[in-house]
Amino acid sequence: MPPRRDGEYLQVDSDSDIEIGPGRKGKGKDKAGDKRKKDKGKGKATEAAYTWEASYTRSWDTVQEDEAGSLQGAVEDWMARGRRRRLLAPAAPVRRTIIRHLVLLLDLSTSMLDRDMRPTRFDLTLQYAREFIVEWFDQNPLGQIGVVGMRAGIGERVGEMSGNPQDVLKAIADRHKLEPTGEPSLQNSIELARNSMNHLPTHSSREILIIFGSLTTCDPHNIHDTLNACVTNKIRISVVALAAEMKICRELCDKTGGQFGVAMNEGHFKDLLFELIPPPAQRALTRAAGAGATNPAADLMMMGFPTRLPDASPPSLCVCHSELRSEGFLCPRCLAKVCDVPTDCDICDLMIVSSPHLARSYHHLFPVKPYTAVMSMVDASDSSGCHGCARVFPVAALVGVSEGMSAVGRYRCPDCRGEFCSDCDVFVHDVVHSCPGCGQ
Amino acid sequence: MDDDSMGSHLSVVIDLSPTHWELSSREAPENTYPLTLATFLSQLLAFLNSHIACRHENTLAVFGAFPGKSVMLYSSSNPVPDSLSTDVNANSYPPFSAVDSTVVQRIMSELDLLEKDEEEAPSALVGSLVKALCYVNRITLPPSSNSKAQANGFHPGVLPDPRILILSVSPDLATSYIPIMNAIFSAQKLKATIDVCQIYGPNTVFLQQAAHLTGGSYIFLERRDALLQYLIMSFLPPPSIRKTLSVPTQEQVDFRAACFCHKKIIDIGFVCSVCLSSECYLPAATSNNNQLGLVFCQPLPVCTTCRTKFPMKTLTRLNAARPLLATGNSAPSQSRLTSGPVTNNGVGGAPHSGTNGAR
Repeated sequence: MPPRRDGEYLQVDSDSDIEIGPGRKGKGKDKAGDKRKKDKGKGKATEAAYTWEASYTRSWDTVQEDEAGSLQGAVEDWMARGRRRRLLAPAAPVRRTIIRHLVLLLDLSTSMLDRDMRPTRFDLTLQYAREFIVEWFDQNPLGQIGVVGMRAGIGERVGEMSGNPQDVLKAIADRHKLEPTGEPSLQNSIELARNSMNHLPTHSSREILIIFGSLTTCDPHNIHDTLNACVTNKIRISVVALAAEMKICRELCDKTGGQFGVAMNEGHFKDLLFELIPPPAQRALTRAAGAGATNPAADLMMMGFPTRLPDASPPSLCVCHSELRSEGFLCPRCLAKVCDVPTDCDICDLMIVSSPHLARSYHHLFPVKPYTAVMSMVDASDSSGCHGCARVFPVAALVGVSEGMSAVGRYRCPDCRGEFCSDCDVFVHDVVHSCPGCGQ
Repeated sequence: MDDDSMGSHLSVVIDLSPTHWELSSREAPENTYPLTLATFLSQLLAFLNSHIACRHENTLAVFGAFPGKSVMLYSSSNPVPDSLSTDVNANSYPPFSAVDSTVVQRIMSELDLLEKDEEEAPSALVGSLVKALCYVNRITLPPSSNSKAQANGFHPGVLPDPRILILSVSPDLATSYIPIMNAIFSAQKLKATIDVCQIYGPNTVFLQQAAHLTGGSYIFLERRDALLQYLIMSFLPPPSIRKTLSVPTQEQVDFRAACFCHKKIIDIGFVCSVCLSSECYLPAATSNNNQLGLVFCQPLPVCTTCRTKFPMKTLTRLNAARPLLATGNSAPSQSRLTSGPVTNNGVGGAPHSGTNGAR
């Protein structure tokens, strides 16, 4: 799958090339930008603008106030754009991996102390990593994250692979334990991450996310061997670079099917990181070609749904920590008591999930059909209020609405023919994922 | 605590399934404590009035789940139509009488609309729950984006801890599992609490989960004649105060899922790794509810949702794991199930040998 963001990034490149002068290729630009960045990093505040600045769209410029000084029009435009994007989304279901395993590789070399991102690259990375982890677990409840740091030429394990967001957050909570030193080593840390994911079953995805601030890597052997090993092990590597594009980073991503991006500023850094949160579409396994062909990743998994013990039950030893606790979950097969779900039962190895964990991923599988905008009062039904929140619809049609927006503020569900206001339309599709009228 | 300046919002979802209310109102021997819809409504209205009376800023919305239809019966933000507020009594507080007359008249008119002969559809509890969420979303949105509400002279602000109270009389509806789960997660995002009061019928697993996951309380009504007391003691105080009041919480929450193929609630299921839809194979007559749910579960050769065929090796492995727990399962069904992928074995089995070896 060609990484989508990649294309966008190149797009930015080619735009800025024109600004500098024709004939320069993307890579040359990167180096130029990089030199300037390094200058700035050393504290010499250069006045020269970054080359990408010309192509950079300022979000505050795109928002226009209307005559009354209200931003409502701009906000509604924004929502309409989102709605259009939803309508344009392919109707064919995309297969996504739900059980994900991710190793977060943090660059802890001295280059992370650069101040080109405020306050420092290092502090910003830690802050965004925390937000990333919280959001990642929210969307991938069955996933696990491990953290590896690279500093002083070695890769060091910062946090064990864990399905509990609190454990992962605790691993990167203390910034003094992660103080950047020395040179990074891509190979050492990728090998460490790769070996910690060796045992995982094939139906889960294995991913490495590298946040890389350095422009060098000191490796003991040929890093291309590591790259090939990752390809054979089906590990997807994604890199968010903070300085500039490096050929080896780009290659790591391209060959393993990951995404590569260079952060232009703080906001872009966060965007790049958060784009990696939704479960990736499963890699081109052309099952459609032959009906008989089997997807090698397809497997039937046995899962147990545990019984939760009440807080007031008599304390007993748990099988995971051997501690006396009153609360816990009972494995449905062997009745062993575990502290937290989702997990694998320590006794019978059954995968224990609670049904809410599974259900959280259902909305990826059963999306609500997009609502169609009702264009005029002639089409509108006789209902006076929104079918969801009962807000009264405007009686007069608005003028000058952009494409995809309804002039009468009504959006109709194709199945139940209920009409909704734009707030409910956004809420139903982005948050609830089930239509109030259809009720399913 | 900023509760001093702010009211709290309460949405009430009433399950109005005529069949179950009829069953609930039957006299002993069937019911020890019969509760008719009329008694229920009078007790409920007293509860709603006390919510409004607690604080001037408190807001209220009432949703009714009728068979196959969900209706908003009352909301404090929508003005009451003049036709409904006719009986002005000098001795009654106008907001109380507005709530009472609107709710009762809307329920009556909706119930009159129901077709007598038709087979009753299950009540649209999910629809009204999602509507209640839409309404909570509407009132919690920053005021700038709903200028229309401001124009009406209604300034919702952002009310702390909105809550939704579900008064249910129907049993679980397995088809509503996914929407209920979706509703629960959106309630979590909105920081809304879902309280559940099961007035009649068996415990509902889904609503138990809803209350548990959103930090609300689930109460199974044992003494139905004391409904009002349950309501006022447990559901009237906003969640912030409940910690100090020790409102009853659930003893045990059932975290089992419903299977896709039979919509039955299961302990151990088989899950397709591609689409992760829970699958199981249950014979029609399984009242066996013990913890070894695998006794009646069988792996399927083809995922019913995404039509992915599973490798033969997994099937045989899972089938082999079954007899450890099961005794004497029906042989014909097994042969029928496994005959499917045999022809496919050459294609599907080969790439998987490594996987199974690794385990």
